[in-house]
Amino acid sequence: MIRRARIPAPEDFTASSHSPLVAARLGLWLGVAFGLCFGTGLLSHYIQHPPGWFSWPTRPVNLYRITQGVHVLSGVAAIPLLLAKLWSVYPRLFVRPPVRQPIRLSAHALERISVLVLVCAAFFELVTGLFNVAQSYPWGFFFPTAHYAVAWLVAGAVLLHVAVKLPVARAALKTPLRRNAPVAAMTPGSDDSVERRAFLRTSAGVAGIAVLATAGVTVPWLRRVSPLAWRSAAGPQGVPINRTAAAARIVVPPHWRLEIVWPGGRRTVSLPELAALPPRTAHLPIACVEGWSASAHWTGVPVVQLLRWAGAPTGRPVRFTSLETEGLYAASTLPAAHASDPLTLLALRINGEQLSPDHGYPCRLIAPSRPGVLQTKWVARLEVWR
Amino acid sequence: MRAVRLLLFVLGAAATAYGGWLLLPQLGTALPWLIGGPALHDALVAPLVGLVGLALGRLVTDRRRRAWIAAGLLASATLLLIAVPLLWRPPSAPPNPGLPDRDYPLGLAVGLAVVWAAIAIVLVVATAVDRRVTHRRSDSR
Repeated sequence: MIRRARIPAPEDFTASSHSPLVAARLGLWLGVAFGLCFGTGLLSHYIQHPPGWFSWPTRPVNLYRITQGVHVLSGVAAIPLLLAKLWSVYPRLFVRPPVRQPIRLSAHALERISVLVLVCAAFFELVTGLFNVAQSYPWGFFFPTAHYAVAWLVAGAVLLHVAVKLPVARAALKTPLRRNAPVAAMTPGSDDSVERRAFLRTSAGVAGIAVLATAGVTVPWLRRVSPLAWRSAAGPQGVPINRTAAAARIVVPPHWRLEIVWPGGRRTVSLPELAALPPRTAHLPIACVEGWSASAHWTGVPVVQLLRWAGAPTGRPVRFTSLETEGLYAASTLPAAHASDPLTLLALRINGEQLSPDHGYPCRLIAPSRPGVLQTKWVARLEVWR
Repeated sequence: MRAVRLLLFVLGAAATAYGGWLLLPQLGTALPWLIGGPALHDALVAPLVGLVGLALGRLVTDRRRRAWIAAGLLASATLLLIAVPLLWRPPSAPPNPGLPDRDYPLGLAVGLAVVWAAIAIVLVVATAVDRRVTHRRSDSR
């Protein structure tokens, strides 16, 4: 039999993976993954650009490590789930528009546009996020702002999609996957429910494999398990380095002094003076926005003690400025809660050794529950705000 | 239900509009990356998956075995996708010797090997169990 090639119609796809029962369940799982990803991403954005009403706790010290780990791993899990979901609903791409009925046609067009926005934005978020964790930027836009903007597109388009599909999805989710035994017994051989469940199990299993293959970037006991973790926990002095002193073009002046400034006062302190202040050692993680994290024993002067020693006011936000003259993360503002925390250190040593130039010699900020990019290295100046 | 749908619709439209407004300054450079995903998927990936599925259906007739092989292919494809940015680094990445600090090709090879070893074991065990069952049936006859 010779058939003419033509554009397929939805009815041509007969596999059980295209059933609404499967699509609705995949949609629910994908919704959970995207929801986690959006929520934790929003938190990370607010920590880096805090609005007035926002505050972020300093305990547990691993809090940001956990939220950002959830962010990248829920994104990784969403990759196979999105592909499975798109495969499940692929026949819907070929639904012919109801051309002769203007009202239904406009509804159809609106639904298509919202789905197009959703799919474009979902792919964009997963692809750009994946490239960002590898610190690869083969595009012309600025990653953080574009990734943030498109996150809102995904969130909005998901809500629109749920609004459109709610009746269908509810009916599908209420229908059990396993057909009741009498019906199955009456029509042996035509039982699709086995294949539907197999497809769903495979999708969930592959999402699990994807998470397992990458989770070692942040889950210590999976370090040796995850073959595709993008970052090891090792590095010079036991911690990986994102930005080297050479990349940041750091030159430490021979007579380096730390400058502490507050409204109505100023004081400078040399490295030997800093080293002579009562030290404290804290076990704190570097938790990067790229999802990797590694803990170390940091030794240095608690920032709050340093401010008291200098005679500066405490309990206020403190601005840390680096020797780095350009670059987005040459300065960061430590919120009052973190500046008052006794575990927030101006670290001079890491794992018992003096900080290497790449780790921020002469001194660096290390505070609990903060993104790594805000843990300013090569600190030159502290400015206490009002 | 109607009120819920209306609320979702209003919230969704507002969030989409906000996202679009945020993206506006970078829309020009972001557009190819927005369109690229669905275009590549709908025109290339999905038809390819369909063809592989059809071929697999012809080659492997046993339902359970086919499901396991399909799972292996899906897992492999996912691992490959995750590995793309690690293996292919266009020069726009900032030159920084501290960055790629693991052997990614080896990691990918190990991941794929583990997946297929697990599936091979499952298939061998399934075949052995099937044989035993048929043996028993023929014995009891």
